[in-house]
Amino acid sequence: MAWLHTWSGLLLGWLMFLIFVTGSLSFFRSEINFWMRPELHRAHRVDGGTDSARMIAHARRVLGQEAPDSPQWQISLPGPRFPALSVSWRASESSAASLGGRRGHVGRPAMKRLLLDPSTGDVLKARETAGADFLFRLHFQLYGIDAITGRWIVGAGTMVMLIALISGVIIHRNIFRDFFTFRPNKGKRSWMDAHVLTSAVSLPFHFVIAFSGLLLLAGQLMWSVMRGLYPDARAFVIESRGGRARFDIEPPSGTRAPLTDFASLFETARQRWPERPPDTIVVTNPGDRRATVEIRQSYGGRLANRAAPERLFFDGVSGEPLETPKAEAPSAILSVWNALTALHMGRFATPAQRWLLFFAGICGAAMLASGLALWRVSRLGKHDERLSGETLRMPFGYRLVEIFNVAGIAGLLAAISVYFWGCRLLPRDLALRVNWEIALFFIAWGILLFHAALTRHLSAWAGQLAFSGILFAFLPLLNGLTGGAPLFRSIVAGYWQVAGFDLCALLAGVLLLFAAWKVHGRAAEELSELERPLPPSVVEN
Amino acid sequence: MKMRNIVDSVEKQPGINIGIRTVLALFGAYGFGVLGARTFAGGISPPLDAAALSVMLAFSLEAGAIIWVFAASTVARAAMGLAAPVALFGAWLAVAG
Repeated sequence: MAWLHTWSGLLLGWLMFLIFVTGSLSFFRSEINFWMRPELHRAHRVDGGTDSARMIAHARRVLGQEAPDSPQWQISLPGPRFPALSVSWRASESSAASLGGRRGHVGRPAMKRLLLDPSTGDVLKARETAGADFLFRLHFQLYGIDAITGRWIVGAGTMVMLIALISGVIIHRNIFRDFFTFRPNKGKRSWMDAHVLTSAVSLPFHFVIAFSGLLLLAGQLMWSVMRGLYPDARAFVIESRGGRARFDIEPPSGTRAPLTDFASLFETARQRWPERPPDTIVVTNPGDRRATVEIRQSYGGRLANRAAPERLFFDGVSGEPLETPKAEAPSAILSVWNALTALHMGRFATPAQRWLLFFAGICGAAMLASGLALWRVSRLGKHDERLSGETLRMPFGYRLVEIFNVAGIAGLLAAISVYFWGCRLLPRDLALRVNWEIALFFIAWGILLFHAALTRHLSAWAGQLAFSGILFAFLPLLNGLTGGAPLFRSIVAGYWQVAGFDLCALLAGVLLLFAAWKVHGRAAEELSELERPLPPSVVEN
Repeated sequence: MKMRNIVDSVEKQPGINIGIRTVLALFGAYGFGVLGARTFAGGISPPLDAAALSVMLAFSLEAGAIIWVFAASTVARAAMGLAAPVALFGAWLAVAG
């Protein structure tokens, strides 16, 4: 069992580290997306409760100008995670066809979106960026290969993770007793303690996240199970998401009619759900006699129905409430499914819960990193090149693990920081800007792989940790210098979406620099050890 | 006797031993999970519940089977431990239609 744990952990450890780090960051996808577009930081902050009527008026004005013939408008009010007012609309069939426009996933014309200052209603022209969406997609379908293959690889990695977790609990029988044990500066023992500590501290999370990750990919991974029960896996995925009853909207009549004042409808909904107020308005067939207004919460409060939001429907002309169909309560089996998948995506999470999920994810990444380091430290004892006297060269396989450890752990963190810097430093009007951002990430990672291969192991660690530490630590400064809200101002103004990112980057930078300093000390010790003459017994051999 | 020799030589060669176990884990465990899930959860209705339970069972059974494949003392035992229940599930599904 120890063999299974060790080798399954090693072979897919680097992939799982990537999945854990990018997945943990994805819990703050909205906040990172906001930080990566500094033009949005200029948006004035408003009180979502008292200023909603004014914001809705701004949104309605812009939509009326930009998309008078659209079959659907959507207004998303600013919230604690994304402080800009968002308006989006679906292009009409005729304009989409004439523009050769993109189509959405159900074959309808894709949505177009504008971001507005919630206070003034001015359009905020934000830079084009892949944002946190790149990291999110990298998390479950990788990049540069087709999505299906990427998901198979991630699915295989997740299954191996589950196996490694089960076998890990079996082999570390005293995992919970050892949780309270940490012996620093004891070489292999210290790495083992760190591995057990980071595993045990969020063990239930690791199990849930691995198992629910498999469930989220089930439509593809378990097609042979679903095939007999559903005509295609997609139907299952859509139906299992359920949680809300179908509301059939009538097609447009072709007769024009003025839209009702939906700010007052929004107020009605706000009074109805004081705990989880609404934040989204969807207007279907605006300007038509059969216009419909839907007002909904961003998320509901029940995990069992996948945190599906409550909705209210109104006649878009008279403002009369329409009968909202009741969603059926999910069965016990589906409740388990929904709870697991909603938990994986943090759909329900309040800020505190989101931080808890993020912390657990980082613990998972630390568990993988310490496990990978432990593999190397354990074998180094057995094959110490100086003491064995048989060879002065490390076996190629061990060296390969060393290189991948440095590039896969420190190199990945550095590549992510380069990605953030690239977002801010690449010219705003650069052609294919999004592709350049992503290219920078992979170029930096590739260079760091070469660096790891060409440098002594501990020196490579120290160098790459220091490099990523510096880049992370200076991100708040870069933010202030490239048009974003400076850290002191965002803290004073209580702009926590920006300040939170900057403070986390600063903390990550300091921790990485501290780690680099510690490793550098070890590297210097190792070097002086190597410069000492060999013992006579070894020389004689 | 010849069969016995082949089994012995497989056990003694780590590369082949691990290779066979890996193939069993990749395909045998997957098949075991799928057949087991369809046997236990196939009859449940509505289909949405049946599919959800099947998938959760399939992943759990697959994980258990992979651990069995690598924990069994010999390759032969690992293979038999998978083949017997797979045959049973297959027969059950064939009879049940």
